[in-house]
Amino acid sequence: MIRLVRAELLKLRKRWASYVVLGVLVGLMALIYLLIGLAAPRSAGGLVLRFPDAYAIINQLVFGLGSLLAVSYAAAIGGADWTWGVLRVVVARGEGRSRYVVAKAIGIGIVVVIGACIAYAAGILLTMLAASIAGASAGAPFGPTGVETLWMSVVLGCIVLLQRAAIGYAVAVLTRSQVAGVVVGIILYLGESILATVLTVMTLGAGGFGSGIQRETQWFQYLPFSIGDSVMDAAATSLPSDLGDAFLLPVELGPALVVTGIYLVVALAIAAFATERAEIA
Amino acid sequence: MTDTTRAVGAPMAVTTSGLTKRYGARVAVDGLALHVPRGRVYGFLGPNGSGKTTTLRMLTGLIRPSSGSIEVLGEPYSWRDRNRLARTGSLIEMPAFYPYLSGRDNLRVFGATGPAAARSRPDEVLEVVGLADRGGDKVRTYSLGMRQRLGIAVALLSDPELLMLDEPANGLDPAGIVAMRELLRYLTGQGKTVLVSSHILPEVQQLADVVGIIDRGRLVREGTLDDLLANGAQVRVQVRPDEVPAALAALGGLGVPLEPDAPDAPTAGRITIRIGAEQAALVNRTLGERGVFASAVSTTSDLESVFLELTRGVGMGTPDDPLSGPPPGWGDLGSPP
Repeated sequence: MIRLVRAELLKLRKRWASYVVLGVLVGLMALIYLLIGLAAPRSAGGLVLRFPDAYAIINQLVFGLGSLLAVSYAAAIGGADWTWGVLRVVVARGEGRSRYVVAKAIGIGIVVVIGACIAYAAGILLTMLAASIAGASAGAPFGPTGVETLWMSVVLGCIVLLQRAAIGYAVAVLTRSQVAGVVVGIILYLGESILATVLTVMTLGAGGFGSGIQRETQWFQYLPFSIGDSVMDAAATSLPSDLGDAFLLPVELGPALVVTGIYLVVALAIAAFATERAEIA
Repeated sequence: MTDTTRAVGAPMAVTTSGLTKRYGARVAVDGLALHVPRGRVYGFLGPNGSGKTTTLRMLTGLIRPSSGSIEVLGEPYSWRDRNRLARTGSLIEMPAFYPYLSGRDNLRVFGATGPAAARSRPDEVLEVVGLADRGGDKVRTYSLGMRQRLGIAVALLSDPELLMLDEPANGLDPAGIVAMRELLRYLTGQGKTVLVSSHILPEVQQLADVVGIIDRGRLVREGTLDDLLANGAQVRVQVRPDEVPAALAALGGLGVPLEPDAPDAPTAGRITIRIGAEQAALVNRTLGERGVFASAVSTTSDLESVFLELTRGVGMGTPDDPLSGPPPGWGDLGSPP
C-alpha cells in the first residue's frame, strides 16, 4: 500500500493540475484580500482583518472556495485513470482494484491537505498584508485564542475538504470520465448549495419571516456538502457564511463530524465497489 | 490431452474451456478452448471484431467471462484471483500511459502496482525496448511506435513467465518489428511464453510456433504452425467452366479432395485441390495429359491463405450456421487467382 501511495504522490507531484488548482485558490484569495484592503475603511477593516476573527474569512476562502476546487481536483485525478486507460494496465498487472482506489484516494487526500495548509498560510499572510493596506491592525494571529482557532480551523477544515474531495472522486469513478467527473462534481456541489438555500428560505417562510425566527437544525443540513458547513461553524463562528448559518442552528460538532466521516467512507466504498465491479474496456 | 499438447509436448501456460462472453444478445466469444503451450510463441489470429481482444481482456481480468473456465500457468484463474496475474505481463489494445510523465516515471508508477519490480528494472526494460535515450522524455512527445515499445516495456516490468500482447507490432516501423520479433524469440528462449494476437499474418508466420485462429468468437483452428500450413496447402487451377467435369475426372486420380467453385458463381471454372504446393506441376501435367489446359495455376501454403480460407466460412458449419459465409468487412475474397 505504501508503494502505491508513493507512486500516487509521484504522479500528483509531477502533475500541473496540482499547482494550477493551488495557484487559482491563492490567486483568488490575493485578489479578494487586495480588494478588502483597498475598500475597507480603517474602522471596518478590523472586522475581517483582525485575528482571531479573521480566521472566519480565511476558512471561508480556503475551505469554502477550496471545497469546490477540491471536488474538481479529485474528480479530475480520479477520472483521468479511466479517460487515459491506465486503470487497464494497473488491473492487468494484477493489482487489487480496491487497494488501488484507496491508495489513490490517500494520495489525493495528502496533496489536498498540503495544498490547504499552504493556502491557509497564504491566507494569514494576505490578511496581514490587507490590514496593512487598510491601515488597520491585524492583531496577533498566533495569540492564545488565535492559535486555538487556527488549530481547530485547519483540522476541521481539512476533514471537510477530504470528505468533499472523496465525493468528487467517487463521482468521477462512477462516471468513468475526467471531464464528466469534474462537471458532475461541480454541479452536485453547487446544486446542493442552491437547494440548501432554497430549503432554508422555504423553512423560514413557513415559520413567518417577521415573527421572531426560531433557530433550529433542519434535515437538509445533513446533506453531503452541507454537513461540512456545520463542522466549519464549530471552528470559527464569528461570521455567518451563508443564509443557513444566519438563520439555522448548525448541527453539533460531534454528530456533524460523524456524519462527515460516514460520507467520506461511503464515498470511498462506492468508488472501490464501482471499480471492483467495472468491466474495463 | 489436447491436440496442441500432443503436438508440442509441453505443459500449458494458458488453457481455456468453454470460454464465453456475451454482451446482451451478442456473443463476442463463444465457447473458446485455447491451449497455449509453455515456452512457445502462440499466434492468436482473427479478423477485426473476431473476439481476440475480448479474449485477452478476460485472460487479464479486465472483464468477466459469461461462462467457461481459465487456467493460467497451471492454476485455475477467476475474476477474484488476480494474484495469478502477478506472473504475467500484458499489453492490451493501445498502450496507456500518464502523458505528463516521462517514460521512466511511467514505468516507476506502474512498477509500484502488482508484483514488486526492482528499482533498477525500469532502466533495464527501457534498454531492452530501445528507449533508454528517450526514457526521460514525457510520453506525450512519443510517437506511436515508441508508445508501443514502452507498452512492451511495461509488460516486461515484472519479468513475467507469460506475456500477452495484443497487436504488439501496431505502429512499429520495419526495424521495430524485427527488433520486437527478436525480443520475443529471446524471451521464449528464456523459457517464457508469449501469447500474441495479431492480424499481421506474415509476422505471425515468422514468429509463432503454435497458432489459434478465431472467427466471430469461435476458435476455428488451433495447432502448430507446421501442421496448419501443411493441412492448409492447396493448388488452385482455373479452367473453362465447361471443362470442369473433364478436369475433375482427370484430377480424381490424384486421390485428394477437389473443390470446384459453383457453376453459377463468378469464379466458375476454378478448382481448389487440397494438395501440397510442390505438387502444382503434377496437377498441371495431369490436366494437360487429359487435354484440359489451365489458364492459371496458383499455390498457397502461407498462413495468410490458410487464414483467409478459414475465416471466409469454408467448411465452417451448415448454411444455417451464422458462421457460414464471408465475415463482414473482408469483401470479395473469391476472385480467381
